[in-house]
Amino acid sequence: MNLDFSQIVPYIPFMLEGIWVTLKFVFFAIILGSILGTVLALFKIGSAKPLRWFADAYTSIFRGTPLILQLMIIYYSIPQLTGYDISPFLSAILAFGLNSSAYISEIIRAGIQAVDKGQLEAAQALGVPYGAMMKDIILPQALKNILPALMNEFITLTKESAIVSTIGYLDLMRRAQVVGADLFRNFEPLLFVGLIYWCLVMGLTVIGRMVERRLKLSD
Amino acid sequence: MIDVQALSKKFGDNLVLSDITTSIQKGEVVAIIGPSGSGKSTFLRCLNLLETPSSGSIEINGKNLTASKKEIHKIRQQIGMVFQHFHLFPHMTVLENLMYAPMKAKGLKKYDAEGKARQLLERVGLAQKADAYPNSLSGGQKQRVAIARALAMEPELMLFDEPTSALDPEMVKEVLEVMKDLAKSGMTMVVVTHEMGFAREVADRVLFLDHGVLVEEGEPESFFKHPTSERARDFLDKVL
Repeated sequence: MNLDFSQIVPYIPFMLEGIWVTLKFVFFAIILGSILGTVLALFKIGSAKPLRWFADAYTSIFRGTPLILQLMIIYYSIPQLTGYDISPFLSAILAFGLNSSAYISEIIRAGIQAVDKGQLEAAQALGVPYGAMMKDIILPQALKNILPALMNEFITLTKESAIVSTIGYLDLMRRAQVVGADLFRNFEPLLFVGLIYWCLVMGLTVIGRMVERRLKLSD
Repeated sequence: MIDVQALSKKFGDNLVLSDITTSIQKGEVVAIIGPSGSGKSTFLRCLNLLETPSSGSIEINGKNLTASKKEIHKIRQQIGMVFQHFHLFPHMTVLENLMYAPMKAKGLKKYDAEGKARQLLERVGLAQKADAYPNSLSGGQKQRVAIARALAMEPELMLFDEPTSALDPEMVKEVLEVMKDLAKSGMTMVVVTHEMGFAREVADRVLFLDHGVLVEEGEPESFFKHPTSERARDFLDKVL
C-alpha cells in the first residue's frame, strides 16, 4: 500500500476553492434549469399545439444526446459560429441548465398532472385567472409530490458537474487532476475531492428533507 | 336570471343532456333530482362552463356564456360553486382558502378580505377553525368552509353539486342548515341533490332529469305528491 495523504496537504486550500467554483455554476444551472423546466412543463400541458411540439422536441433532443457532447458543442461552436469567446463558466451554466430543464420539465409535468383535477375546477369556479391558479394552487401542490424526484435531479446535476473539467473549467474535479499531475500521485487528490462531492450531496439531501418537512405542515 | 335554451351535451357519441330548456329567476331555489347518470351534475357544470355545451345557449343576467369564453372568469366570479368532494386548497389554512380568490381575482385588499372571511366563518359556525388546515377538519366542516369560500366572492348565484353525498350521515344536517340559511337570505341557488327532504322543504321548484332529458318540473309540493310522469313516479317510489 503506497498511500501518503501528507503530500496533498499544501494543495488542500487550492482544492477546497473548487467547492465554491463548482457550487457557483451548479447553482446557476439549477436556477436556469428550474425556470426553463417549469416553462416547458406548462407548454406540455397547455392547449397551444406549437408550444407543445416545441417542448417535446426540446426534451427529446436534450435527453437524447450525451451531456458532454452538448457541453462541447456549446463551448466550441459558439466561438466558431459567432466569434464570441464564451467562457467555460457560461458554457457550463448553459449546457447543464438547458440539459437539466429537459428532465425537470418531465418531472414537473408529471407532478402537475397528479394534482387532483378538482383543485383546478375549484379555482376555475372561483374565477381565478390561469396564471395565478398555476402559481398559487397547482404548482405548490405539484411541488410537494415531486420534491424527491427534483432533489434527485439536483443531486445528479451536482455530481455530473465534474464533466466541466473536460473544457478546462477549474472545478473540484479539474483541481484534483491538476494536483495529481503536480505530485505524480492521483489517488489521494481524487479520493479527497470524492469525499467533498459526497459531502455536497449529503448537504443537498438534508436541505431536501427539510423542505419536504416544511411542505408537509398542512397534512 | 338564468336562461337555458335547447342545451345539449355529448361526451363522444354519448348524449348526456338532450335539448334542455328552462329558466331560473333571481332568488329562486331550484333542486335538480334524478337517478344517477341522469345528467344532473353535467347540467349544473354547464352553468358555469366547467363543461362546454355541445349545442344550445345559456344566458346569465343577459350574458351569453358560450359566446363569452374570453371573459368567462369574470362571469364565474359571480357564480359560486360547491363540489361533492369540497376541493378546498389543502396547502392553505381555512382563512387563506377564503381570502385567496377575493384577493387574486377581485383585487380585494388583504385587510378587507380577512374581515370578510372571518365574518363568513362566523356565519357557518367555524370561526375557531380559521387557522386550521383543511385536512384536520371533518367532512361537514370542510363543506361548510367550501360554502363560505364560494360566498367570499359575493356571488349572485350558488351552484351545489351533491354537497352532502360524500358526507357521513351525521354531518349532513349541519351542511343542510347552512344551505337553508342561505336560501332564506334570498340567494339564488341551484342544488343537485339526493336529499329529497331538503328539496321538498327548501326548494321553490324541482327539476327532474332522467337520461339527460328534463322530464318534469314543478313546485315541490305537487311534484312529490302527484308526479305526472311515469319515470318520476318510479324514481320517487324507489327513493322515498
